[in-house]
Amino acid sequence: MVTDFKPIVSLEDVTFSYNHHPAIQEMNLSIYPGQFIGIIGPNGSGKTTMLKLISGIITPQRGNIKIFGKDVRKIPRKKMAKIISMVPQESYITYNYKVKEVVFMGRIPFINQWQGETILDYQISQDAMKKTDSLPHAEKGIHQISGGEVQRVYIARALAQSPKILMLDEFSSHLDLSYKYEIIKILRESLKEEIQCIISVFHDLNLASYCSDQLILLNQGRIEKIGTPQEVINNYYLKKVYHTKPNIIQHPELSIPQVIM
Amino acid sequence: MNKRIFISFTILSIFFITVLSVCGKSSDGIYPITLVDDLGSEVIIEKKPGKIVSTAPSNTEIIFALGLEDKLIGRSDFCNYPPDAEKIESIGVMTPLNLEKIISLEPDLILAYGGFGTKDIPKIRELGFKVLVIEAESITEMLHSIEFIATACGIPEKGRELTTSLEERINTVISLHSDIPDIEKPKVFTGSGFETIWSPGSGTIFDELVTLAGGKNITENQQGWVPISSELVIETQPDIIIIPTGSMNPEEVTKMKNDIIKRPGWSGLPAVKNNHIFVVNEDLLYREGPRLVEGLELLYEIFHKIRKE
Amino acid sequence: MKFSTKSEKSNLYGYSNWRYKAILIVVVGFLAILVIGFIGLNFGTIAIQPKKILSILWHHKTDDSLGLIIWELRIPRLIMAMLTGMTLASVGGGFQGILRNPLADPYILGVSAGAALGACSALAVQYTAGLYLVPFLPVFALMGAFVAISLVYLLSRKKSHLPMSDLLLAGVAVNFFFSAIITLLLAISRRETRSMLFWLMGDLSTSSWNNIYWISLPVFLGIILLVSSSLELNAIALGEEEALHLGIQTEKLRLKIFFIGSTMIAIVVSFTGLIGFVGLVIPHIARLLVGPDHRIMLPVSALSGSIFLIICDTIARTIIAPTEIPIGVITALVGSPIFIHLLKRRNENNGY
Repeated sequence: MVTDFKPIVSLEDVTFSYNHHPAIQEMNLSIYPGQFIGIIGPNGSGKTTMLKLISGIITPQRGNIKIFGKDVRKIPRKKMAKIISMVPQESYITYNYKVKEVVFMGRIPFINQWQGETILDYQISQDAMKKTDSLPHAEKGIHQISGGEVQRVYIARALAQSPKILMLDEFSSHLDLSYKYEIIKILRESLKEEIQCIISVFHDLNLASYCSDQLILLNQGRIEKIGTPQEVINNYYLKKVYHTKPNIIQHPELSIPQVIM
Repeated sequence: MNKRIFISFTILSIFFITVLSVCGKSSDGIYPITLVDDLGSEVIIEKKPGKIVSTAPSNTEIIFALGLEDKLIGRSDFCNYPPDAEKIESIGVMTPLNLEKIISLEPDLILAYGGFGTKDIPKIRELGFKVLVIEAESITEMLHSIEFIATACGIPEKGRELTTSLEERINTVISLHSDIPDIEKPKVFTGSGFETIWSPGSGTIFDELVTLAGGKNITENQQGWVPISSELVIETQPDIIIIPTGSMNPEEVTKMKNDIIKRPGWSGLPAVKNNHIFVVNEDLLYREGPRLVEGLELLYEIFHKIRKE
Repeated sequence: MKFSTKSEKSNLYGYSNWRYKAILIVVVGFLAILVIGFIGLNFGTIAIQPKKILSILWHHKTDDSLGLIIWELRIPRLIMAMLTGMTLASVGGGFQGILRNPLADPYILGVSAGAALGACSALAVQYTAGLYLVPFLPVFALMGAFVAISLVYLLSRKKSHLPMSDLLLAGVAVNFFFSAIITLLLAISRRETRSMLFWLMGDLSTSSWNNIYWISLPVFLGIILLVSSSLELNAIALGEEEALHLGIQTEKLRLKIFFIGSTMIAIVVSFTGLIGFVGLVIPHIARLLVGPDHRIMLPVSALSGSIFLIICDTIARTIIAPTEIPIGVITALVGSPIFIHLLKRRNENNGY
């Protein structure tokens, strides 16, 4: 775990409401580089809203969000796209683009309309497809591949976008077991390379525990607890937030908590 | 009452002749003439037209009546009177106009019709052709269009000759019933017989014909062609029903009559009870040409006969 | 980063020739238009031999009636058909892009209803006011179109946003409302009903060189602007949020495409009336031929639209000559089976 003094993402007293319905309330948060951050919490606790706030898609009514020290409101869309990329939970692509075309779209923020794309753009796309094992499907239409393959394509696209911050919203719901490990491995590896931090929303507490360096537990728009998986996933907090008392055991090989039904 | 109609008719005729002489710079056929057609467009006719195309049956009939048929080189599909008209080359339907066909005939003058819309006219004029749009909505206007066409073709005297004789016939009909009070005039109904009945009200040629022939149009209080209800017909109890039709096939005629008789509530109408349902060639009642006077005379005969009964 | 192997390289470079592809397509497309246009010149009420046509074209003869027919009737019509087809197809593709809806057509956002209302109002008023407005019909149509565009924009704008769903709903609402008024006008104006119907079903018979001069520049400019938004249209196909994350300002894009597309449609439709189906079906055919990448699909759409409309117009004016079938009828009759066939293929292949 490498910590720097300056946070790359910081939320200061952020409050956001949808139509007077409060989704995020007075949130303060600092995320430091080199970390895999997991966001967990019950439905409606504000997980996806947080991602949208960080990437600047929605603006808080109160408070500041800063990326690399700069106010998100002052960063133009295009510049933001070169910093943050996002893997959505689900998405419907209107037309049957080929897999390689979808991944290539990750390069759009870097392509000058008139100069056009460069070889580097192609290489980055190809590399991203290789990492997610999407090359065998490169020529197939996006509507013709399975849910898991689609998810890997989205991840490839987000990687092709050369982000400094990678955000994922429940990226593994359709993935096979083998691919789950593969993708997590690739994500962690990229943390050592260009990507400075990964923020992922999890529904699966065990996966969150497995992947994350730090967990943020949300409860009704507020941060209930930030800490390591050991610190967050315990009976006290789970009872408080989920109102259930599941069994928590220690992973046989790694020292992380796992929840058993 | 009818004396007034008689007098106003004559005055109007004189008025129009005067207007025409003013409009046409010359009244003895010296070209070029500047004319203003029924669309309000100014058209300059440079020389006497030798090749004329008519896009409407009304115009064609006027041309034949003026003796200009040797100059007619094109007519619409619907121009069927006089029978010789059908020997002339057809230019197709009245709307949309087939511009290629018209151009290929290289006419000096095109007599067009305003009744179905005028969307093709600007294009033909743009190509350099002389187009006069005729649209007569009353008997007076029909007479005017005869003189208008006659002037355009360099024979204004012939035009006046024709209109004078037609006026005489009209006035004769008027005078034949001028002493008959309103009450005794037979009530007349006509209309298209489908779901909605469209009936010609005041301002239409049919209404004018009925009035001039000594009858009372049951829709005379409404403006123009109006949709009316079956109930209105029952309410007004017409004495005569006129069915204007293009097809004079006897079977179809009988069928039409029966359809009317069978209409709910209509069997009690005086027209139906007394079998005063008359099928009339619609060209005599709607086509804005000289045969309107024939239609007038025919209507008078019908009304006269009915009153006698 | 490891370098790609030979076979992967060919996969990599499968994309790079798209510019050459696009240029090739445009050149081939224009040649095709010329050829099909020439074939179209041979058809009409008056039979003119191909040799005669060539000589009329070469010598630019307009002194006799045949020359007049070729140069003042048939050629302007064909050029108008080309420009109209191009506009309808490319704007259709553009709207299908920003609305993320394969069933969108260029008329969905209300422009056409406005133009139609303008034209029909002028025709209706013409009789009662005793005016001769037919030569100015395009002006009235254009005014009506801009009223509709403004209305749709104002209805769907929320502060400084232009949400997609609201745009669509506003367009549909304006369509319904204006169509109701048009139907009323049709019902009460007996005399001009036929002219109105002809306008509503598309009418290329009023094509003239004058009209062509007016619409060529806006059309070509508009198409260039549309094609230049191709990358953004590709991005927005992924999803509203996805496009935002790729740096696309989706609302500005929507505004841009809406205004450019609507203006192009307004200008063209004011002269030709409402020709349906081209804007809906041709983009799909283009996608079937070259894929959904807007950089190639939009130009192909435009060219295919031109060719399609030239063919339809030729059919419309020859099949029951000397009478003319309104071109909107032909495009629908020809377009519907094509569209159904496409849908079937789409379902079988699960996408293009």
